[in-house]
Amino acid sequence: MTVAIVGVGHTSFQSTTPDISFKEQMFEAAVKAYEDAGVNPRKDIASFLTAAEDYYEGYSIFDEFVPDQLGAVLRSVCTIGGDGLLALINGVMQIETGLFDVVAIEAHSKASDILTFPGIVTHGLDPIYNRAFNVHPYFVAGLEMRRYLHETGTTREQCAAVVVKNKQNALSNPSAAYAAKMTMDDVMNSEFVSDPLTRRDISPLADGVIVMVLASEEKAKDLSDDPVWLKGVGWCSDTPWIESRTWSTAEYARLAAERAYKMAGIKNPQKQIAFAEVDDWFSYKELQHIEALGLCENGEAGKLLEQGNFSRNGKLPVNVSGGRIGAGNLLEASALQSVLECVLQLQGRAGTRQLKDAETAVAQSWRGVPTATGCVAVLSSEL
Amino acid sequence: MAYDKIRDPRRIMHVEGDMEVDYIYTAGIAGERFFVALRDKEKLVATHCDKCNHTFMPPRMYCDRCFAELSNWIELPPTGAIASYTITHEDNNGERLPEPIVLAFIEIEKTDGALIHQIGEVKPGALKIGMRVQAVFKKKSERTGALTDIRYFKPA
Repeated sequence: MTVAIVGVGHTSFQSTTPDISFKEQMFEAAVKAYEDAGVNPRKDIASFLTAAEDYYEGYSIFDEFVPDQLGAVLRSVCTIGGDGLLALINGVMQIETGLFDVVAIEAHSKASDILTFPGIVTHGLDPIYNRAFNVHPYFVAGLEMRRYLHETGTTREQCAAVVVKNKQNALSNPSAAYAAKMTMDDVMNSEFVSDPLTRRDISPLADGVIVMVLASEEKAKDLSDDPVWLKGVGWCSDTPWIESRTWSTAEYARLAAERAYKMAGIKNPQKQIAFAEVDDWFSYKELQHIEALGLCENGEAGKLLEQGNFSRNGKLPVNVSGGRIGAGNLLEASALQSVLECVLQLQGRAGTRQLKDAETAVAQSWRGVPTATGCVAVLSSEL
Repeated sequence: MAYDKIRDPRRIMHVEGDMEVDYIYTAGIAGERFFVALRDKEKLVATHCDKCNHTFMPPRMYCDRCFAELSNWIELPPTGAIASYTITHEDNNGERLPEPIVLAFIEIEKTDGALIHQIGEVKPGALKIGMRVQAVFKKKSERTGALTDIRYFKPA
């Protein structure tokens, strides 16, 4: 593949943003991204892709509400009913077809406008077999977490260590919404939402927008001194029947990674990947996803995380940005937040959290309960 | 980023709205068989793919492995084993429940699938993965042909 990210722009991530509309937030991130790429959207960008889900937005056919604030009126626009990484992958493919040489990708969250979030998630459950109980839909995560702990021998403490790490990492991310110096006890003693899942095991929702500009090889070299290359991509969906899934491993992530690694020529991810941004909607999901990406053996992630392997100064840093837990859960946009961190790190623009000598990174996404869908992208500063 | 920003939080405006949408959800060919057997016979219905040797619970009229249409329907007693459980403290509005609800992922015997249902007649502290459970049904006159025709599962 010969597509690169040549510009990124984003708002800061915040718990609430009552003074600004989602369109104005998208405008801000778009202006910053186009400025970063040195492009004029009205002249230089031929295609725009956004990621959105109508129920998160409160609009029917939300696709119609995106062109103006992106500079995309009367251009080729489409909305992907998936996460930001799936939109990015579709943008990559649009360029690969030769139809466009510069495209823009957008994903956002205005979660603070959603007044009935658990209700929306509940409507993602099968109406006939899974919606009969008046409980928070995160019960699915409670079930999955207990099975994961049971099969792998991972402990609740090791899950809590994920929370402590990601909150700590977020202290060095000026864009993060939920940075904190949290202790293990703060996590372990927080109330159960769906035992064994506690309040602190759950990433808190945040508002924010991320826009990226992609370009073909020729255009990327023209536009940027330090383009970040997409080396491999993959995406995968498991069965929607939660009764029929494998509960201890994230098969969608394992297979998406397998495809992305093959494309990128990654044979030994533990050696060839310098750092990773993985989905941590729930603490245990980070561990499950680290394992699915082959960054350690199955069942080993908790132990290795406790030993510091995945810390900022560890062997293979994971979620240096803070992830969903520290930076904030941006719904479909967290996938692009993961890519954003990879880009900033690979370009040496990550400020006080900058990693040394990082050349190849992996970003992985998951769409949350009750889905079993996710994407993987391998990124590199080298073509 | 903006030329001007609102600085007085009392001036911030919004409108409230909702998306009211109502549906019926069709149980379908497989769902119909499952819920009629549940209501009338206290049995669970699964489908079996002979080619893949895979038994689907809940039943489906197609195999997601080989993509064949399935016609081998099996009736099973409503028993299984707890593969996982969770003690849920919030309702689907995010409000604290007066009493926590125990839900379990129950692997149904002689199938490769499961049902997710409530567990009763056992203290949360006594729950164990691997525990065998059986369905407790509502009275015949109270059944509607829904998963809630089973009140809960209890230790077998």
